Amino acid sequence: MNGRLARDTERTAWAADRTTLAEPISMPGIEGPWSKVRQSVSWTGHAVVHAYWQEWLPAALADPELRNLLGSRDWQRFSGLSDPEARSRFAASRLMVRYAAGAALHVPPDSVELAYKPGGRPYLRGCDQVDVSLSHTKDLMVVGLNRRGRIGVDTELADRRIQYASVERQLCTPAERELLAELPEPARERELLRIWTLKEAYTKALGQGMRLGFNQFGFGSDGTSLLTPDGRQASRGEWSFGTFWLPDRYLVSVACQDSGAESDGDTSVDTMLDEGFLGEVVDLLSRSENKGQ
Amino acid sequence: MNTGTTAVADATTDATADVTTDVAERVAHLERRFGDPRDPGNPLGFRALLAAEERQELLAEAEGLLTDEGFGAELVPAALGGRLTRADTLARVLRPVFRRDVALGFGHGITSLFAASAVWVAGSPEQQRSLARLLCGGGRATIVHHSLAHGSGLLRGEVGAERTADGFSLTGRKDMVINAHRAEALVVYARNLPSTPGAGSHSVLLVDPDRLPPGRMEALPRKLTTGMRGCHFGGYAFHDCAVGPEALVGSYGEGVRLALRTFQLNRSLIPAAVIASVDTVLRTAVAAALAGRPGGPEGRHRPLLAGVFADLLAADAMATTALRALHLVPDGAHLAAAEVKYLVPDLLRDDLEELATVLGASGYHGGDGDGDRGALSKLLRDLPAAGLGHAGTAACQAVVIPQLPLLARRSWFRAAEPPDAVFRPGADLPELDLAALGLAGGDDLLAAGLAATATRIRDSAVPGDAQATLKGYADAFVRELWALHDRCRELEVGDRAALSNPEMCALADRHALISAAGAVLATWERLATGPAGDACGAHGGVGVPGAGGAGGAGGFLADPSWAVLALQRLGGRLGLALPAPPTGCVDRVLHEVVERFRAGSAYDLYAAPLAEGGGT
Repeated sequence: MNGRLARDTERTAWAADRTTLAEPISMPGIEGPWSKVRQSVSWTGHAVVHAYWQEWLPAALADPELRNLLGSRDWQRFSGLSDPEARSRFAASRLMVRYAAGAALHVPPDSVELAYKPGGRPYLRGCDQVDVSLSHTKDLMVVGLNRRGRIGVDTELADRRIQYASVERQLCTPAERELLAELPEPARERELLRIWTLKEAYTKALGQGMRLGFNQFGFGSDGTSLLTPDGRQASRGEWSFGTFWLPDRYLVSVACQDSGAESDGDTSVDTMLDEGFLGEVVDLLSRSENKGQ
Repeated sequence: MNTGTTAVADATTDATADVTTDVAERVAHLERRFGDPRDPGNPLGFRALLAAEERQELLAEAEGLLTDEGFGAELVPAALGGRLTRADTLARVLRPVFRRDVALGFGHGITSLFAASAVWVAGSPEQQRSLARLLCGGGRATIVHHSLAHGSGLLRGEVGAERTADGFSLTGRKDMVINAHRAEALVVYARNLPSTPGAGSHSVLLVDPDRLPPGRMEALPRKLTTGMRGCHFGGYAFHDCAVGPEALVGSYGEGVRLALRTFQLNRSLIPAAVIASVDTVLRTAVAAALAGRPGGPEGRHRPLLAGVFADLLAADAMATTALRALHLVPDGAHLAAAEVKYLVPDLLRDDLEELATVLGASGYHGGDGDGDRGALSKLLRDLPAAGLGHAGTAACQAVVIPQLPLLARRSWFRAAEPPDAVFRPGADLPELDLAALGLAGGDDLLAAGLAATATRIRDSAVPGDAQATLKGYADAFVRELWALHDRCRELEVGDRAALSNPEMCALADRHALISAAGAVLATWERLATGPAGDACGAHGGVGVPGAGGAGGAGGFLADPSWAVLALQRLGGRLGLALPAPPTGCVDRVLHEVVERFRAGSAYDLYAAPLAEGGGT
């Protein structure tokens, strides 16, 4: 099993990523551990959660409220899926988003409304203190949460093979092609996979998916900084990137924004309505209500 | 500046034309003085502005120009010697500044007004006179906010005020105060210490930093920010610092009510001004989409550029309606203002991210004579720092959410339509009176506008595809308002505990989108039918084919196409399954996008001529 060995060696090399992002948290079911998510969001600003949809499926199928839980748009999409596996994965992933969002917002999962922007980006309607992103491939589902700005996540099979020659111009900037050209073949393919998933993650964070040309921006050799096609810095540190090789055959890439408006770390819904304003408005209304009676 | 405007004003006898011609001329004058921002040799252009940002300062030449133009007087009520008479015209005067640099707009800047507005509302004649003198003379005031829920660093910390025999004693610190190093007046929203039951929690104090007892106020060092890097954020720490009783603005404990009253102006004004900042990015994207394509933008760029322009018009319709409501519906404007601040920044941020896909790599960098190209990434950094993030949202939701159950019982589908002029951009207005603004209650003017306009459209004869589509969209939003009505009627009025939950936040989000649809529909209807103010460049004087024309008849804004696209995009956010707009609508709006690009006129309801327009 040469391939396996080669991958293991390279993984050690790649583990040198100097990402500042939090390690993805494994979430084998609705029972949690959600405290880890709350902690990660509170301390680092973000959390990335992953699970196998099969682990979540029983909970999704057992939920008599599945239709309500999915909401009208997701229910339509769900009903439109004919492949049973795709349906199961869809239901399980939406359930996981709600649980993860519920944990970050300190509210019951079924009270969160998952909505979509016209470009397809998911968001939590009315709760913009936390941004969400979702990705799945094969058996794995990944959810990203961020309270400091946008987030995008993307997952792929770590041993997915890409023909470098056929995609390099579409996927890579000249600066990246130069770097990749120097690598031996297996390393080049894996590096390409990292670049590709990082680009997916970043464009998902911007809510644009494939619409943002992948050769219009690039990453440095350590995969943590955003660069222009000719290799200059393209951000001022407001974006962090990271790629994580999970202990099994998946990798997860994350693009996470810190817009600099550092909040106090409180994302809870029950403290979000400003007490001073809320109290004054409620008082004024109740006074006018009493007058009206 | 006055010479030019007087000449124009003399030429007409009509009061409306007087004000609106005057503002159009002021905007054109500012544009001329700033010059073409894309010209790399322009010392006031994008290249110079971005270079100043690199140095983490505001462009001194631009500040000099604004001082020279007496910008500060724009923020002072006419009764006190300034030029502020109307909120909607102030927003238009701000646009030439904001389309060049958000940080310049804030830092030079508009924040003096946010500080001063409490004094304009409730200050003593002496407080008003001295602050008016300061601002008209080019000085600055800054605001020391109270602590807001979920506040970002900008809002964290709070100053406390203890009542003493000789006035007040201030204690506490605020780390992030814009212009703290050069403000000559501080408006402090201080927490009353100890808290007095029955009285409000906060009081407003007007403080002259040069007349404080020595050593009691410490200036805190500058904090660098990711966004609005050119602005100087410093701070203050007060140590048992005595201020006299004459510092109190309004009555003791009036702070939160004053904030609720005066924030209505900021909430509608900032989003209205920032529309111009996104104009810059749209303009750059149009240039990119046109490059090498003489036939105009192609493929996915067509609906994208048209859609973003429709969003800008929708944002302007909503913001302009709120700004005009401050004058015309003072008891109900608070709701519209909160919804503008809640929705418009989010809409604009999404638009910027969409435009990123047109700009590609050129969205990132300036320099090399293409200074406008850095505009996108700069704006994406600047907007959150401009207080347009979650804390702003949460403060607005706190105003909207408690009102929803009551609106369902009393206002939606019951209240009379607001005065017609609310929805007529540019039309005459009574002078702005911030003191008259209500804080809560009143009717939902945007919902009333939606319901009434939708009914009229439904009953009207239908010429053309676009209007038939608009009819269908309008009905879908009315059904959405009914659904909101039914849900909110089930909620208890005044049940505070029940208000802070995600469902209420989601309902408020729906309400904001429905409100925006109301503003779009009602504004389009007025522009399509009645006598207009000076929207769509009627007084602008540039030849914008299809965009001009007094009365709106036959003009671009009278055509339903932009409203169709805007509603379709708002409907998408609501999750409504609306049919796709006719391609003719996209073509019509895109045509206007390209025409305005070529003519150099603004992407808003007024199509003001811009410096790059050539003939101006």
